[in-house]
Amino acid sequence: MNETKRKKYDSGILFLLASFGGVLLFYLWPFMVSLWFAFTDSPVRGNFAGIDNFTELLHNKAYLLGLKNTLAFIGMSVPLGMFLSLIVAILIRRSGRQKELFVLLFLIPLVIPSGSTIFFWQALFLDDGYLNGMLVTVGFDKIRWLDTSAVRYVILLIFLWKNLGYNMVLFLAGLHNIPREQYEAASVDGSGVVSTFLQITLPGLAPTMVLAAIMSVINSFKVFKEIYLITGSYPHESIYMLQHFMNNMFYTLNYQKLSAATCILVLMIAMVVLLLLRLERGFEQ
Amino acid sequence: MRKQKRTDLCATIILTVLGVLSAVPLLITVVGSLMPVNDIVAHYTTQLSVFDIINGTREKYIQIPLIPSRVTLEQYQNVLVIQPVFLMLLLNSIKITVPVVLGNLLVSVAAAYGFTVWKWRHKEKVFLIYIIIMLMPLQAVLVPNYIIAEQLRLNGSYLAIILPGIFSPFGTFLLRQSLKRLPKDCLEAAEIDGAGPLRVFWSIVLPQMKSGMAALVMLVFIEYWNVVEQVIVFLKEYYKQPLSVFLSYLPSENVGLIFAASTVYMLVPLWFLALGQKDLERGIELSSGK
Repeated sequence: MNETKRKKYDSGILFLLASFGGVLLFYLWPFMVSLWFAFTDSPVRGNFAGIDNFTELLHNKAYLLGLKNTLAFIGMSVPLGMFLSLIVAILIRRSGRQKELFVLLFLIPLVIPSGSTIFFWQALFLDDGYLNGMLVTVGFDKIRWLDTSAVRYVILLIFLWKNLGYNMVLFLAGLHNIPREQYEAASVDGSGVVSTFLQITLPGLAPTMVLAAIMSVINSFKVFKEIYLITGSYPHESIYMLQHFMNNMFYTLNYQKLSAATCILVLMIAMVVLLLLRLERGFEQ
Repeated sequence: MRKQKRTDLCATIILTVLGVLSAVPLLITVVGSLMPVNDIVAHYTTQLSVFDIINGTREKYIQIPLIPSRVTLEQYQNVLVIQPVFLMLLLNSIKITVPVVLGNLLVSVAAAYGFTVWKWRHKEKVFLIYIIIMLMPLQAVLVPNYIIAEQLRLNGSYLAIILPGIFSPFGTFLLRQSLKRLPKDCLEAAEIDGAGPLRVFWSIVLPQMKSGMAALVMLVFIEYWNVVEQVIVFLKEYYKQPLSVFLSYLPSENVGLIFAASTVYMLVPLWFLALGQKDLERGIELSSGK
């Protein structure tokens, strides 16, 4: 008995060896190194510098700008994106036979590579682009979409376009899991559309909402691809993100600042995720 | 009942409008790819010609025509036959994406099974580390990636992008989720019957993971076909870059080809979507921890 038990134990770990090795070498170890860098004054034979790198970072204008814009973007895009995709998911459940087709349409932006649509977005939003052409024809002034703070809304639009399908799929699954009997009971009681939504749909969706929020925060970082491809390394300051700051640090090989910035980012994400997960546990009880 | 029908119709109309809007960038790109190069240059560039100046045109704006004046494969011929640079950059994309997809699949399948059968008391704590790494946005992982690439002298090589991709814990998480439906008794019964771990793996676990694997292949493929951040950091030479980045700074003399190049580049993921829409949906549900 003891013999066989030992054998089982061994076989499990054998399947994990490759993955453990890789995660250790390519994630955990370099994370530790960058943690070390964050507290030293130079990458080669550095001395312990305490929290100098962090205080320096928090006085760095570019960093603060990037941090502010990133947080502002998340604060704007995540709720709006979730709201829109919830509406679309509810509509899709009512749409009958073409359900699959609609889901397909909303998933297209998710799968096509960002590079493939960059030319289109530029043609739309450049100073002499299609939209401005329309505005001028109708008799309005041009809007410098990409070189003023209007670019924020351009990016928001692209984010919503790209990620609508992701949350929609989550919400469709969440809606599917709400027992039909609850709706039937509500309709027997004579509840209206709004009160049914508030009393059954929303509470039933609460755990899904939390997961969708976590995934949206993660996905909102990915909009950097479009920002970078459309506007390059130095965009208008209203969309200068944390990622721009970090990219520029790569070019100047400033490991200390980079590592400190990474530490702060990891901490923030961890806090947000833990908070949301606790929220979810609360909902499920 | 009639009221119900009317709201359904309303839903369909709103969704049709939104759905078409969401497909617009794709439609414009595909339509554009079938136009003659001259049409593209005429509509999508705004430099004034002598003719314009004589006519008194001061400002020109980009136009986005919806119907080609003539349908031609001229652009595709240029992209696929005449200018091999596109094929070279496409090949770069393949060189990055294929190893990551296959490698990650292999490592993740084994690890997901390992986590399922491993009997260590603290395995969930180890798994939590995987989840934490998985939830980190790319920018948080990029610095550690860079550090290890320096130490292993991988900078400037595809391996700097490929290796972290292969060992990304996301796949393990996704596949383990898809194994959660497998009843525990099933595995134990097989072991009592005397089936070895490999046998159990092949005949019970692998079939169960099939749809999860399809989802994983799709999600990883989409992500690495669209790789941007790592390229900016790791690959300085433009001839090494994948099309995902290069498409955005196509030299202006090639404007006439951009739509065909873009279309070619998005064909594979679109084909995946057409084949496996259900798998993609399942993958999205699984990766949120459902």
